[in-house]
Amino acid sequence: MNVHKLWEYQEYINVNGVMMTSELISMLQNSLTLLQVENHFTHIQYWGQIYAIDADYHIAVGINSDAIRDRKYFYTTDFKFWGLLPKAKKKYKQLSFLTTFPFRGDPSLKIKVLDEALEESHPDRCMTMKEECRLAATISNICDEAEVCARGQLIKQPSGTVVINPNYYGLKGSEAKLLKSYCHIRQPQHRWNTNLLTRQDYNYSMDFLDSIDQDIPSGCWNLFLEQNGTLVYVKSLYWPGMMYFHKVRTPDAGFLYVGNGRKNLDVPFLL
Amino acid sequence: MSQTFILEPDIIAATENVMPDLNNDLVLAKNFLKQQSAATGDSLYDHLVDVVQKILSQKPPDVVDNFEQYSWEVKQEKFRPNFDLLNDIYLSPPQLETVRRIDEMFKLVASKAVKLDDLGEEEQELDLEEDNYRPKIQDLVDHNHYFREGGYGLANSECYAVYIAMIMLGIKESVSTVRFFGKIYGTRANYYVAETDLTLEELDRRIREFDLKDMPGEGEGEMEELKPPAEEQQEILGEEEGREPVSKEPVPPKLPPEPKSTWVPPVPIPVERPGQGVNKKVYWVCNRPGDQWICLPDLSPQHIKVARLSVRCMTGDLDAEVVTFPPFEGSERFYLRAQIARIAAATSISPQGFFTFGSGEEEEDLDMEEGGDMQFNLNPFYQGHTLKDLLDSNLTYWVHHGRHILKQGRTIWWNPNAEIEEGLEEEDDEGLPQVEPEVGPNLFTPLSEDARIEGMSAWSARVSSTMCSDRALAIIRSNLWPGAVAYATNGKKSECMYVGWGLKFQPPNFSPLQLPAPQNEYVIGPEVMEMADPTFADEEAYRIAHLPPPPPPEIMGEGEGYGEEGEEDEED
Repeated sequence: MNVHKLWEYQEYINVNGVMMTSELISMLQNSLTLLQVENHFTHIQYWGQIYAIDADYHIAVGINSDAIRDRKYFYTTDFKFWGLLPKAKKKYKQLSFLTTFPFRGDPSLKIKVLDEALEESHPDRCMTMKEECRLAATISNICDEAEVCARGQLIKQPSGTVVINPNYYGLKGSEAKLLKSYCHIRQPQHRWNTNLLTRQDYNYSMDFLDSIDQDIPSGCWNLFLEQNGTLVYVKSLYWPGMMYFHKVRTPDAGFLYVGNGRKNLDVPFLL
Repeated sequence: MSQTFILEPDIIAATENVMPDLNNDLVLAKNFLKQQSAATGDSLYDHLVDVVQKILSQKPPDVVDNFEQYSWEVKQEKFRPNFDLLNDIYLSPPQLETVRRIDEMFKLVASKAVKLDDLGEEEQELDLEEDNYRPKIQDLVDHNHYFREGGYGLANSECYAVYIAMIMLGIKESVSTVRFFGKIYGTRANYYVAETDLTLEELDRRIREFDLKDMPGEGEGEMEELKPPAEEQQEILGEEEGREPVSKEPVPPKLPPEPKSTWVPPVPIPVERPGQGVNKKVYWVCNRPGDQWICLPDLSPQHIKVARLSVRCMTGDLDAEVVTFPPFEGSERFYLRAQIARIAAATSISPQGFFTFGSGEEEEDLDMEEGGDMQFNLNPFYQGHTLKDLLDSNLTYWVHHGRHILKQGRTIWWNPNAEIEEGLEEEDDEGLPQVEPEVGPNLFTPLSEDARIEGMSAWSARVSSTMCSDRALAIIRSNLWPGAVAYATNGKKSECMYVGWGLKFQPPNFSPLQLPAPQNEYVIGPEVMEMADPTFADEEAYRIAHLPPPPPPEIMGEGEGYGEEGEEDEED
């Protein structure tokens, strides 16, 4: 969620009863604006919160020139110092799925992960990783699978860079009811013409992202309209704690994740 | 400048003098721009006029960067249907539907409030009686304020609507207290859940209904249901026997008796009566504030048992089918009720001393009636704890005030052998093994006794504010039921609430109940076991070994017969 609009957006947060307190918003706005200035980010967004035992992690995203490739994630536990999260390695991304115990709240903590799929004598059976790496990997997993935006919120320029649409005017009421109008914020994984040509009204600058209606199983995304269809919530059953809201016909939209960073693998049973 | 504005016909006339002329070029260009597109009938000239007009009148910043967008928007505006041409069609805003719904509720509540005010002024003598009748409604707005201080709670608009809806519930239905339990998300609609106590009359009525329905049903009803199939079978058999002599046809070979099921259904665990155990509170739900509140049915232990073995999302439709294994009897309303009971049992917490047994003033009359289903009330002497105690990571200052649900699916243990044991009391009780009574944690057990999940305690305590410690309050969230939170100030306020999917956190993840192993169809013995047929050589050897000592050649055939019989006997 755009840090500078948190006061307006706090009424729209609707995830497991979470509300942002005035203190949290004030602290976020102060420290993140400074962070934005230091790093010369064009946009800075509050990403969410990951529960830990000792102190919860708060995550922010800074966006520079490219809204997909040029994202930098920061974390903090005390709002005084924002640490840059390392790039998530593939190895750690896999390990973070295997880690079942909760986050501790100490980024330098070394944790051991046992991969029970491997044989006992295999050298990679027991691996260690720092909690910072685990946090980065978890966030990267969530972003890949659950971070969404409305269609048209990100546009691809002829030069190939993706930018946040400055003239975004929101989805229309009828569009907002369709899962097809929401896209993953990630490097597209489907073929470009799949994403483009599955629409009647395709647009080269908008339809380059994967839409969420193709995710498996159908029903893993929950689309909910409130206030007579003027406010849309998109939630993922895979990542309880994730939410995306969008006010129809306005540029107001935001993503938030508040949870323990665990993927819910029971989705097939839930439906 | 005046030259540039010469009327067009004049200029066209002037073109006959073939001379390069600025005006001429201008007109040519203008004519080109005014060419109508074949498809839409628009011309670029008109479009540019519109764009420039829009830009100049609206004065947006940095137009040059977003010029394409502007041009596109102008084009789009042209396609807007002009309803004014039709006979005054008015499109009502989409909010109308909600407003109608909520307005009705507001009117009802407002009219009631006025009535009560009038009574207060005119008939002050009757006021006391009226007060007794008036249900006690939790001050949700106040509690929500504290929840929001702690980072949880409902949005203001939602909170107020729910509060009014709770008052409406108090007016419409015969309830004595109303408390907001929480909100449960569904895939198509959400549920707002209110927790109520019934008025005494209503409770009596329900208990009477329950007794009428259930007392005879417990023993006899089940038997009646089970009997018919057996009787029918007997009847059919009887008929067949009767026919046999009449038909005189070749008698069919006599079949072995049909195998009979030895499975005996487990004795159903009796339902707790209204106002007791898991059915102590009555829950009402609605999809949106302002809708009719719907009363959830009372819960049977079987529902809780099955709900514990399955995971499922609510759909938002109370009559939706619940497809689980083991099968769940009943629609989603029962499932929702079961989940609410489980959540309420696990996440109703309060600071130590907030509630007390009995009325608080007369500590002596603690009645242990009905096996520990004790009443508790607000403690008038509760003074609050310091924030440091409330935030202590051992959580010894927080206690459960929700009754633990036993494995049986009841809060009060029911002895399955009670009836039989009564008969056997004076004799030796060899017949049945003594059943160990299940005991759950007592009421007001501190949270420190809760089971830990994967090295994490079941609750996390947080302080709401680090900057101004005077305003701070303790907020505690459940890790077992994500979405369940409770707050306590260092004064006298505390409340808990649940907003979530109604799913329990089950690490590592849910695994469905395995199907039971298939039963054996028959006793496995030599008769049904597969074995090699005797070869001709074996048979010959057998025959020779069993030859009768005097060899009269005529009886050879019969001898083989005897031999075979002997073989069968041996196998048996």
